[in-house]
Amino acid sequence: MIMRGARTLATPAKYLALAAYLVFLAFPLLWLVSTAFKPPQEMALIEPTIIPENPTLENFRLAFDQQPLARALLNTLIIAGVSALVTVLLSIPAAYVMARYRSVVSRMTTLWVLLSQMFPFILVIIPLFLLLRDAGLYDTQIGLIIVYVVWSMPFALWMLRSYVAGIPAELEEAAAMDGAGRLRTLRDIVAPLLVPGVVAAALFAFVSAWNEFLFALVLLRTPELQTISLTLVKFIGAEGVARLGPLAAAALVATIPSLVFFAIIQRRLVGGMLGGAVKS
Amino acid sequence: MRRATIVSATVLSAGLVLAGCGSGDDAGTGDGGDGPVTLTFQSLAFQPESIAANQQIIEQWNADNPDIQVEYLQGDWASVQDQLVTAFEGGTAPDLIHYESSYLQDFADRGWILDITDMVSSELRDDILGGAWEAVTFDDAVYAVPFLLDAQVIFANKTLLDAAGIPVPAPDDPWTWDEFAETSKQLTDADTFGVAWTLKDPANRMLNLALNFGGGFFEESDGASTVVFGDGEKEAFQRIYDQLYVDKSAATDAIGMGGSDPLPGFFAGQYAMLPKGIWFRQQIIDQAPEGFEWVTIPALKGDSQAQAAAPQTISIAAESEHPEEAMAFLEYMLNPENQALLAKGDWMIPASSAAAQDPILTETPDWPVAAASGEFLEQAPFQRVRGYEEWKNKVANPSIEEYFANSISLDELGTRLTEDGNEILERYNR
Amino acid sequence: MSATVTAPPPTTPRPKQPGRRRTFLGLDRDGLMLAVPALIPVVLFSLYPLLRGIYLGFTDAQAGRNAATEFTGFENYTQLLGDSYFWESFRIGLIWAFGVTILQFFASLGLALLLNQKLRLRWLARTLALVPWAMPPVVVGIMWRLVYHPNAGILNSVLTDLRIIDSNVEWLSSLSLALPAVIVVGVWSGMPQTTVVLLAGLQSVSEELKEAAAMDGAGPWQRFRNVTWPALRPVVTAMTTLDFIWNFNSFSLVYVLTEGGPGGSTRLPMLFAYEEAFRYGNYGYAAALGNAMVLVIAVFVVFYLRRRYREEG
Repeated sequence: MIMRGARTLATPAKYLALAAYLVFLAFPLLWLVSTAFKPPQEMALIEPTIIPENPTLENFRLAFDQQPLARALLNTLIIAGVSALVTVLLSIPAAYVMARYRSVVSRMTTLWVLLSQMFPFILVIIPLFLLLRDAGLYDTQIGLIIVYVVWSMPFALWMLRSYVAGIPAELEEAAAMDGAGRLRTLRDIVAPLLVPGVVAAALFAFVSAWNEFLFALVLLRTPELQTISLTLVKFIGAEGVARLGPLAAAALVATIPSLVFFAIIQRRLVGGMLGGAVKS
Repeated sequence: MRRATIVSATVLSAGLVLAGCGSGDDAGTGDGGDGPVTLTFQSLAFQPESIAANQQIIEQWNADNPDIQVEYLQGDWASVQDQLVTAFEGGTAPDLIHYESSYLQDFADRGWILDITDMVSSELRDDILGGAWEAVTFDDAVYAVPFLLDAQVIFANKTLLDAAGIPVPAPDDPWTWDEFAETSKQLTDADTFGVAWTLKDPANRMLNLALNFGGGFFEESDGASTVVFGDGEKEAFQRIYDQLYVDKSAATDAIGMGGSDPLPGFFAGQYAMLPKGIWFRQQIIDQAPEGFEWVTIPALKGDSQAQAAAPQTISIAAESEHPEEAMAFLEYMLNPENQALLAKGDWMIPASSAAAQDPILTETPDWPVAAASGEFLEQAPFQRVRGYEEWKNKVANPSIEEYFANSISLDELGTRLTEDGNEILERYNR
Repeated sequence: MSATVTAPPPTTPRPKQPGRRRTFLGLDRDGLMLAVPALIPVVLFSLYPLLRGIYLGFTDAQAGRNAATEFTGFENYTQLLGDSYFWESFRIGLIWAFGVTILQFFASLGLALLLNQKLRLRWLARTLALVPWAMPPVVVGIMWRLVYHPNAGILNSVLTDLRIIDSNVEWLSSLSLALPAVIVVGVWSGMPQTTVVLLAGLQSVSEELKEAAAMDGAGPWQRFRNVTWPALRPVVTAMTTLDFIWNFNSFSLVYVLTEGGPGGSTRLPMLFAYEEAFRYGNYGYAAALGNAMVLVIAVFVVFYLRRRYREEG
């Protein structure tokens, strides 16, 4: 009885807290939508409105007319998707080794993971650029994918290692008793339990590749190869002056796919598979 | 065992690097051989009209010159520095580079851009203003062709001026700083500040204004520059400070603003006057609410109306395989007719004296004021100081911001600009 | 460099390991097959640039076509020790990194706990919580500048309507408020990442254990302390460590917002390094700064990880 009373009281509080979080985190989406439909005369009002007084689709027309947005979105989708896939596929087994083997490789990898994140990326850009150029990867999307995989792997390894460490070793030992090798143990016992961590790592790899700007800028020259973040910055001029309308329209077009992708993952993957894996 | 991994990793990566060494130039541009030459041109054009002008010029050239084809690449102001530095280090820079005069000296010192002194035709040389040429000439070598100039003017809310009965000064009879201070006070009331000084990243702006009172900030002797902060340098600082904190005729909430930040306040009548570059006309026209009336007021006069010329420029990369062809294109691209198109697209003043007479420019709003301000553009001392960029970022910008936030005195500002500043310059003077 | 070695001293592999015959670098055949595919791209494309970057910190490397580079040993570091601009930005960097990491962690933990509850439209809430992540960084800076805009910004107008302030606040140009204001943006932009990771960690917590604890009469707080927290702890350790490193190394968001101003009050150390390298062309000095940062971060991280691992046993 007491429990139930506490619960009914707690639930509205929970929704309220969640609403506060979402206002803080998601209001930019509202701003983006609002700005994307505003004519230039409504951009510089002293009391900005949320709902445009004279809504217009002109910004979308300008954005698509002046920049190859569709092409850039497709490019980015491929680059980010492949980067995320490769990162996860390479990281799961390696993270397992890091967690379960006390070897030189595990320790060197840990060292590399931390060092690669501690040393500022901005100072690695030039040596990395020269390396890719010499490998014939200048102005190629493969080159960019390689950079993104290598850039996301420390995070993926580091997180997955800690998720593996959280899985009781007894589970594996039982499997080993039954004669299963490392590879089979990983596939049958460990991997299913890793799903939430893998989703987190894949999301991270996808989003970092989707949003990355500086390396794409220096590596890609051909306009047809460019990614969405390179396209967006073309709407910003000297002294930080931006063509806000087309920029917001283009940014909205770039944001919606990732949000839809997130939503699908949330509904299907995390909700469904995980519920099955851990619960029952 | 552990050593073995490190060694093999090193050997592997070293091998990769060595393997690539010989092929460094294949990433460059151009085809060589007998086929048509392809040049890459990276533009920083941003306004649609200006991008269109660039593309129109290039299309015309490509149609007329089948042997020299130009490929248009679009860069952006925010990241062009990082991109160019990396591209120059990697040998992948475009043949033709659109940038700004203040970065040329560093680029030239590093051997990245070509000395084009002997390649410029006499027509082009004679057509472009002397002050603009000075800004791209270092140690008697020309490193770019200047083409777009900005000039400081003041935009004003016409309705508020009229209500206060203040006439707009003519281009040949500009306000003095005293008259400006008086006008600002007159325009200030409970709802309105007379002026909004937008001072984000303030060093360039302030050094530019100091020229009005003969403040040069740098002295050169034996090739070594030192910072000075005397009466000429102090004047503009003191006057703006007084407007902010003594007369209270300048809005303190505007000092952190840059770009288009002051527009809402300007349109709403909170700021009556807005000192800005001439290019800002475009922003106002684009975003002004219906019925908003505004006017351009000529730059103020101190001892003079002098302003620093910091033109936008086009340079040729030192590593370009086809410098002659690149120069030929540049001669075409920056002829008077095309400069007029480009200047119109960006709402700026062309460096070409012939282009400045072109009707497509003279018919733009308040053109006489813009053109008149352009006449006072000159080479400023700070533009040839090695290490200026570092002085500006580390010392000048932060301490000027503190001064205008009313947290340090003018004397303290002077001490920082000179003593801390000279320490930085010393490294460059060696 | 060796300061970052945090792994425990080498021990012999656990005796229960099955099928262990010949080993290379402490890995059996299965282990090698698992690790090598990941190691190849790392060795080829990460290790060399990284080592090269670290090496540059001991040279006088300068930008330029014909700039000769010489090994100068610790000269850069003596210069760094006497560089007051560096120390000032270092101080700001510590406030920023600790501020953002700590606030981000607690905010994200709260959010992750909420999102782990059985609430209506949970999938939608989870998606919306990721908005800062999905927004292109190019737009983020512009948008927050508008939020903080002194007279047309939404923040001042909301606070005025709520009668919390009676005159507009200059968030980004006030010497004392600029740093807290950018810290809020830092927390905002990093929250999705931390939340996703913590949520994934929460989802791995065994329901049976929680139910068993509930049966024993444990309240929500006790269940959290005794069941959830111990299971979550490795993930928390890993994430806060990475967050701290990332925050210490970040500068682009703040650069867009304030360019390090006003009065240098938001000049993060990496902004300093970036300017040295890309503005003034001092690659060697910038890399030395990077190395010094690695050392500093390593000290914090080692200290932190030691403590956490000891707690975890």
